[in-house]
Amino acid sequence: MLELDRIRVSYGAAPALWDISIRIDAGELVCVVGPNGAGKTTLINAIAGLNRLDDGSLAMQGRDLTRIARNRFCDQGIAIVPEGRRLFTGMSVLENLELGSYRPAARARRSESLERVFAIFPVLEERMQAPAGTLSGGQQQMLAIGRALMAQPRLLLLDEPSLGLAPSIVLEMFKVIREINASGVAVLLVEQNVAMALEIATRAYVLEEGRIVAEGSPRELLAQPHIRRAYLGEA
Amino acid sequence: MNLPSLTLLGQSLLSGIFIGALYGLLGLGLSLSWGMLRQINLAHFALAFLGAYLTYQLASAGMDPLATLLVILPCFFAFGVALHWVFARFSISPFNSLLVTFGVTVIIESLIQWIWTADYRRLESHYGEMKFRIGTLFVPFPELLTLLVAIALSLATWAALRYTDLGKALRAAAEDAPIAAAFGVNERALALLLSGLAAAFAGVAGACLALSYTLAPSQIYAWVGVVFAAVMIGGLGNPIGPLVAGIVIGVSEALTMALTAPAWAPLVSFSLLIVVLLARPRKF
Amino acid sequence: MRIPAPAWIAVVGLALATVPYFKLPAFYESFMYLIFHWVVLATSWNILSGYSGYFSFGHGAFFGIGMYTTATLAGKFDVPFLWTLLAAAAVAALIGAALGWVVFRVPKLRGELFALITLAVTFVIGTIILNTPIDGGPGIYLNSVPLPAIMPTPSGTFYFLALVTAIATVSIAYAIHRAKLGTGLFAIHDDEDVAEVMGVPTFGYKLAAFAISCALAGIAGGIQAMFVSYVTMGDTFSIVVPLNVVLMSVLGGTRHWFGPAVGATAITALLYGFTAGDFAVAGRAAIGLILIVAILFLPEGLLGRFGRRRPQRSPSQPGVAAGLAATPAAPPKAEPGARTLLEVHGLSKAFKGVQALDGVGLEVRPGEILGLVGPNGSGKSTLINVVSGHYRADQGRIVFQGRELGGVEAHRIAHAGIARTYQIPRPFAHLSVIQNVALPARFGRAALDSAAATREARFWLEFTGLAAKADALPEDLNLHERKFLELARALASRPSLLLLDEVLSGLTPSEIDGAIRTIRAIRDRGATIVFVEHVMRAVMELTDRIVVLNYGRVIAEGSPTEVMRRPEVVTAYLGKPHA
Repeated sequence: MLELDRIRVSYGAAPALWDISIRIDAGELVCVVGPNGAGKTTLINAIAGLNRLDDGSLAMQGRDLTRIARNRFCDQGIAIVPEGRRLFTGMSVLENLELGSYRPAARARRSESLERVFAIFPVLEERMQAPAGTLSGGQQQMLAIGRALMAQPRLLLLDEPSLGLAPSIVLEMFKVIREINASGVAVLLVEQNVAMALEIATRAYVLEEGRIVAEGSPRELLAQPHIRRAYLGEA
Repeated sequence: MNLPSLTLLGQSLLSGIFIGALYGLLGLGLSLSWGMLRQINLAHFALAFLGAYLTYQLASAGMDPLATLLVILPCFFAFGVALHWVFARFSISPFNSLLVTFGVTVIIESLIQWIWTADYRRLESHYGEMKFRIGTLFVPFPELLTLLVAIALSLATWAALRYTDLGKALRAAAEDAPIAAAFGVNERALALLLSGLAAAFAGVAGACLALSYTLAPSQIYAWVGVVFAAVMIGGLGNPIGPLVAGIVIGVSEALTMALTAPAWAPLVSFSLLIVVLLARPRKF
Repeated sequence: MRIPAPAWIAVVGLALATVPYFKLPAFYESFMYLIFHWVVLATSWNILSGYSGYFSFGHGAFFGIGMYTTATLAGKFDVPFLWTLLAAAAVAALIGAALGWVVFRVPKLRGELFALITLAVTFVIGTIILNTPIDGGPGIYLNSVPLPAIMPTPSGTFYFLALVTAIATVSIAYAIHRAKLGTGLFAIHDDEDVAEVMGVPTFGYKLAAFAISCALAGIAGGIQAMFVSYVTMGDTFSIVVPLNVVLMSVLGGTRHWFGPAVGATAITALLYGFTAGDFAVAGRAAIGLILIVAILFLPEGLLGRFGRRRPQRSPSQPGVAAGLAATPAAPPKAEPGARTLLEVHGLSKAFKGVQALDGVGLEVRPGEILGLVGPNGSGKSTLINVVSGHYRADQGRIVFQGRELGGVEAHRIAHAGIARTYQIPRPFAHLSVIQNVALPARFGRAALDSAAATREARFWLEFTGLAAKADALPEDLNLHERKFLELARALASRPSLLLLDEVLSGLTPSEIDGAIRTIRAIRDRGATIVFVEHVMRAVMELTDRIVVLNYGRVIAEGSPTEVMRRPEVVTAYLGKPHA
């Protein structure tokens, strides 16, 4: 469904991603793990249309997206939950959700999407009118996910959703992500919390210094001493 | 300090409200482009004056002063669009936009002076003749019109930003343009639209100016300080802000003038501005 | 052979001083007077606003204050004219300093907000002057004030006074440009917070620059008062003067001490060259166009290319190998018997409801490499920011070498001997690599003079492998090089305590190996290091002890291998224990 073919992306003047080829099929839950500074956010932003590709191609369901305007990516069924959430803090919870369904196809199904989001995250319905900036960290993350869901995506991009959240909330959240995936939405998850991510992924890539260094199922990857060393320092 | 009569106070209050409305009307476009587009458009004032002179010119040729807006507004809208296009193309910082628009101001001012000279110009229209009476107070029609227009435009803008999808998209893009774009908002087009609207609002303010005031190119800078004060006190990007703050300033000035001497009036708006800048924790 | 600037200034100044003796028509002398007048205003404005980036829109106020000081003293109290100029400078400087003392304390009043508040103050002062007996409306007449006959004619005298002031102003601008004050101001321009952390006393420097700037504007005002001989409000306390000086400085180049003078000359000539009717209007329009073009296409101004300050020439250049042998003095070791170099007790810091640090307590022992680890968001960077003074803690104590450091200004913390790197490098964008490194050598604990600082910088550039890029700008460096620039910058102040914030992230494995060697070498020279890192391999190899943070709290402390095996630490990182 989503195909990245040997893309190269720069972050400012410095090159950040080299020769990345990634594939996500419908319904999959794919994970990209890697250390800080590896380029995970640059990768997700490129898929969402926020970063331009220097080279290579990006295609969604056969359609080449490499050169289209960045506000057209959402129309292709791609929705992002950015790192640090990046909610519209000056707007209410409801307005953030409404903004998520700005694109015409999603707007038509707005009320139905709202119901679904409120069913998954009841607290958002309770605090519907509250300014997004007043929510707690966990609630903000839920709102960010809800906003993306409002866009009726085929592919949901999540950039480090566990950042700054308490462990119990993280558990809840990953459960929700798994449910969303089960309902038919493909998920690309970028995470530093390796164990959580590998728990729920069907496939994973390991990104280091802008390159894919490993790929496979979670079990295959966890068996590799490379990963244990990179994240725990064990010899 | 003699306490003036109730009538005089009432008339002062009224004139304070009226001039405050004009501050608000002038500030509306400025607040929108500064708050939502990070563009500090100093040329807004020159543009308003250009609009005022155009209203004067077309009305002197026989057109109804308010009908002149039909001609002026589209042109000003186009100008606003072009201005933002340039800013976006050169990725101009907010501070540099202040400097560039100063250059634009000087050019417009020179243009005005070249066409209409430095002589005072006063629009004589039937609107100017109309006056109402409320009790012992006089309400001149042009000023009343300014107030009504200011209220109408501010409320309309506020409602549009608050309740329409387009308005929400604008607010979202103002806060985080890339993420708004990621959800389908064509923030580049919206920014151009907003810039055009702000310029059109300058044109409306100009028409109101022409109806109530005598025009001279030297007057352009006289409004800069107090309208900036109204915009900042009212809160950037808040459509109702400049109007409310403008009226507060206008009334304070009028009362100061009535109770002390006219020349102390500027102290009011600027002292308020200084206090707000020092005290308000919120980042602009 | 390069002729130094002061010589040029002296020669040109002397040449110009002879002009009145040629008995030209008064028109020419008045025209030159105007040029000198605007050179003074623009150059003095630039000392604060161009160098530091704090664009003031209040210059008209201080010019006006000078004007009225002279007018009042000479016109009403018969003080001899030349003495009033001194008073004009003093009064303007004092009021400027008072204003700066209030405004510079408020951190958010930068950029356009500073411009607006100075504009507002201008109008307030103007209104006060207009409505009090200082002016009161009718203005002040100065026709009966005697003008010292310095030159054959009055217009010649004004010419001369303005010339002297212009020479003085340009010389002062030049001197500041080359002095420590100028270096500090340019650093403030690029990144004030980092400059403060590197040891630049930002508040004091801004205040000094502002006061000097206002004093010079005051003198210009005093002279102008006599020149027009009838002093009224006019356009003085408005936006016109500041906008003109902004235009002139931006056109000429705000980073160069001579830029504003160039701009002032060009614009004044343009404005007054077109004096007749239609041309006057066209002249003004042309100026508007010039400003627009300048901002869009020539952001550095006409002298921009010359704006890059060349580093001081250090006398000994031969063989950098020799330089390596003559290594700078190592930082003093902590007193023997001192068990701790740094102690932190109960440190808490919250941002908008998120508790970044929650009662953190730890100690750093002299000569050790302490690793500070923890998952993202655990508070590691916040701890570094608080200890280095970038943020103030909400609660808790910081004790360094026995001194309480909590709440102390960041530049004093730098003087005490603490240096840090930034996780995302924050170099001074307009300074060259070597200038970036020399700055902390001048302003940090080492407090070296300019030439010594440059030598020191060169040493550290060698040490970190950046010597070849000494004259490049930071934007020309790649991430790896910028990280090492951060490191060199931190080292150049010869700190006793070095705080490294994720210096290794983004580096390739071989680069990491090199970095590990470098860091070990730094410790061997006597520095104590706190090392925030995610790259576990480096943490294991380098650190003597580690402290683990999670959600703003210390959850473990001890030897690296032992701590990283503890279940609570593994859980924090991975979510559940892995055998």
